[in-house]
Amino acid sequence: MRGNAWRFAAALIAFAVLARLPVGLDAGFQFDAALAVIWAFGILSLVLLYGYAGQVSLCQATFAGVGAYGAGMTVASLHGGYLLGIVVGVLFATVLGVLVGLPALRLHGITLAMVTLGIALVFDKYVFQDHLFDWFTGGAAGWQVSSASLLGISVDSSKHLLASYDVLLALFLVCAVLMLNLHSSGAGRRFRAIRDSELAASTMGVNLTRYKLLAFAMSAGMAGLGGSFYPLVAGSVSPQPFWVFTSLQLAAIGVLMGVRYVPAAALGGFFMAVVPDVLTRYGHGTFLNRAYEISFDWFQIAVGVLLVLQLILLPDGVWGDLRSHAARIRGALRFKRAGEVTAA
Amino acid sequence: MTMLRLRDVGVRFGGLVALNDVSLDLNRGEILGLIGPNGAGKTTLFNCITGVVQPTQGSMYFEGRSLRLVPPHERARRGIARTFQNLQLWDSMTVLENLEVPMDAVGRRNTFSDALGLPFSGYSERAARERARAILHVLELDGYGDRLAGDLPAGIQRRVEIGRALAMRPKLVLLDEPAAGLDARETERLADLLRTVRERFHVSLLLVDHDMSLVMRVCDFIYVLDFGKVLASGDPAEVRNDQKVIAAYLGEATPELSAGEPVPELVSGENPEVTAPRKEPGEVLLEVESIAAGYGHLEVIRDVSLSVRAGEVVACIGANGAGKTTTLRAISGVIHARTGSIRFGGRDITGAKPERIARMGLAHIPEGRGLFPRLSVEDTLRIATDTTGNRAPLDLAYDVFPRLKQRRRQAVGTLSGGEQQMVAMARAILARPRLLMIDEMSQGLAPTIVRQLFRLIDVFREQGIAVLLVEQFVESALEVADRAYVFEHGSVAHEASAEELRRDRNLISGSYLGATADETAAIAVASNGHSNGNGHFPHPDLMEVVSMRMPAALKRALEERAEREGRTVGALALDLLEEAKR
Repeated sequence: MRGNAWRFAAALIAFAVLARLPVGLDAGFQFDAALAVIWAFGILSLVLLYGYAGQVSLCQATFAGVGAYGAGMTVASLHGGYLLGIVVGVLFATVLGVLVGLPALRLHGITLAMVTLGIALVFDKYVFQDHLFDWFTGGAAGWQVSSASLLGISVDSSKHLLASYDVLLALFLVCAVLMLNLHSSGAGRRFRAIRDSELAASTMGVNLTRYKLLAFAMSAGMAGLGGSFYPLVAGSVSPQPFWVFTSLQLAAIGVLMGVRYVPAAALGGFFMAVVPDVLTRYGHGTFLNRAYEISFDWFQIAVGVLLVLQLILLPDGVWGDLRSHAARIRGALRFKRAGEVTAA
Repeated sequence: MTMLRLRDVGVRFGGLVALNDVSLDLNRGEILGLIGPNGAGKTTLFNCITGVVQPTQGSMYFEGRSLRLVPPHERARRGIARTFQNLQLWDSMTVLENLEVPMDAVGRRNTFSDALGLPFSGYSERAARERARAILHVLELDGYGDRLAGDLPAGIQRRVEIGRALAMRPKLVLLDEPAAGLDARETERLADLLRTVRERFHVSLLLVDHDMSLVMRVCDFIYVLDFGKVLASGDPAEVRNDQKVIAAYLGEATPELSAGEPVPELVSGENPEVTAPRKEPGEVLLEVESIAAGYGHLEVIRDVSLSVRAGEVVACIGANGAGKTTTLRAISGVIHARTGSIRFGGRDITGAKPERIARMGLAHIPEGRGLFPRLSVEDTLRIATDTTGNRAPLDLAYDVFPRLKQRRRQAVGTLSGGEQQMVAMARAILARPRLLMIDEMSQGLAPTIVRQLFRLIDVFREQGIAVLLVEQFVESALEVADRAYVFEHGSVAHEASAEELRRDRNLISGSYLGATADETAAIAVASNGHSNGNGHFPHPDLMEVVSMRMPAALKRALEERAEREGRTVGALALDLLEEAKR
């Protein structure tokens, strides 16, 4: 298939470029790079769920968290290999995704958003941070993951950070290509049909139950896959990265970047991981003899403001509108040629 | 051979009986028509057959197998496809993609092989695309494959919906108002198209439409629904001459329909039927001069002129989709007239904001009544007195509608249909209007209640309020009205006194049941009657091209060349687009 080959070539080029980006930077930025890919997985899962299938979800970080805890538990408590940890993490997240998908068979829009937000809250407060689940989660402080290795990359070792980044990046690009294939294929069209009109989809032979659950399962699995690398990258698991606000932020940044488009996930992941760190690192000093400090709070305010601006100015998201601008310019050129035909 | 067999199908929504003991047989290869006034249950029946609504009683068989508890997508796989009255295309997908979804949804393709882009998926992908293009070609939609479905004009979207239904390789296609919003010529083209579709795709069709000229022309057999029951059935000629059918359409309440229904006394005790001698109508209150209006790409009314004098009751009648509701909306400012002018009480109100027009004393009760279901009766009426800056005591309304006083604490949504209509009317008269426009006052109401509501119109006249009615119960409307305008295909076909129209019944029944509609359409075409008031004669193809974005210079070049070659701009532009693509 021509389109397919194109996409793989583009993915290879992207890998060659992106893999080199954090080389030579300090450990902090290398960690940011890996984190960016994890969040990019989170946004990619939202592209599938919300962008393709039209199902609102505000608990994508919870799926990622379950993936992280699943992997962490397998490695730290059960002393399994890290590969097994990833499988367990993805499995946990997928199962949770199907469970969350069940109410989605009946709910739409804002009510579905409330339900998924509730699930994110419950997992944040009563699973990740609760003493009942300490055996699983290590409690509010989280727990250290040590003495595990994946394909020779050992955990909690800053000198191997780049290697885990490369593995993550490769996996992300594979997922991204699969998502692009999905978009233009039968299953992707069925997802999009559900988004545009459920009534028409069901009367045109699309099994709503099956495809809604499938969307939730695949999306949760994808978020979980990203999350299951978190212990490898950070060396520990704690509830904080996967709390409710991260879920909201994933949704907000997803919409900001263009939730219907796969490349927006990469943009969003980068934005979400790198920008706050840059702000806290370089965002202080003196300006006109006054000391100032730009903290993480500023990042959250900026996301809010940008989201409002985007919804007004770029309704299809940053990537979506860039694309349609490019398409319009191409279209105008074609029209000019058509005009010459007419005049002749 | 019977393909679809319904036996005693009934549907209830709470207390409302939407369908009652409907039995119907559809044979293979047949085009079956289903007609009936608004609210007769036609769309509900479609929803039952496709599984969107579960019937509360009765049985349905498709090709000898029961459809009981079969989910919608499974029915689609067995071969039942449909189109929708309110368009349900997947707007953000291209036309081709819209056709491919049902094709491969029925073919059970594998999600993971799709994502991996395996060769197997590639083959079926290309096959689907080829078939989609073939279907578009038959439906004369060749140029539209790669356009987004949501960007197309409504008429084209309707055809794409038919294409999408056919893409499923169905055995039976249910068409819900495919002619809505089309003019006489486009309707004629649609009729040819439907026959082509039956032959090329070997399907049976079940057709619901309000355009009788279409139904009478293409259908082999017709069922008439009224109040959820089968009123009559037969071939087109039989149905057209059936007295019961004419009565149902023109609103003569037949005794058997009202029998057994409780007769709530809506209006106050004394009989308001004692009609005082009608006063001579006063000066001209509302004057509409050759307006055109519509929605988006669709122009619904063209060259409509009418006038209402003070203290006069005027009715607008005509088949559904003839442009009556749009005319009222244009007058009250909900949508803007594109050409022409509207004067009310001596002042120009063309393009004025609806709230300003309302404050001038022009009240509009929209179709569906425009009520807030959770508000109590009293709160609803208060809103009216507040927003108009006119603190009329609510007693004014309660005097006319004593029943509402009893129910003043009840939420409007829990009232019966007739009572809701009373709330809407009470709210309107609290604003002390000079002209009251009522859209489909009797929609979905039992004939006895309708009669009582009509007596109210007389009460309004006594009080010096002019009334402009849009009504499907023509007989009752003509009884109360002084004059009437008959709408056909988006313009006024006749204007006459109510008495005259009552006497010459053929004049109206023709425009409803399609006997004379063909003639008038022919005359209209012959005299180039598609003028929209600007002296333009829009060709349907041209309308489509105009709706695309293109630079003005290019448009002018196109027009010049079209004139030289003696072709329509639309045909030329579509040819050029094809050429440019190659």
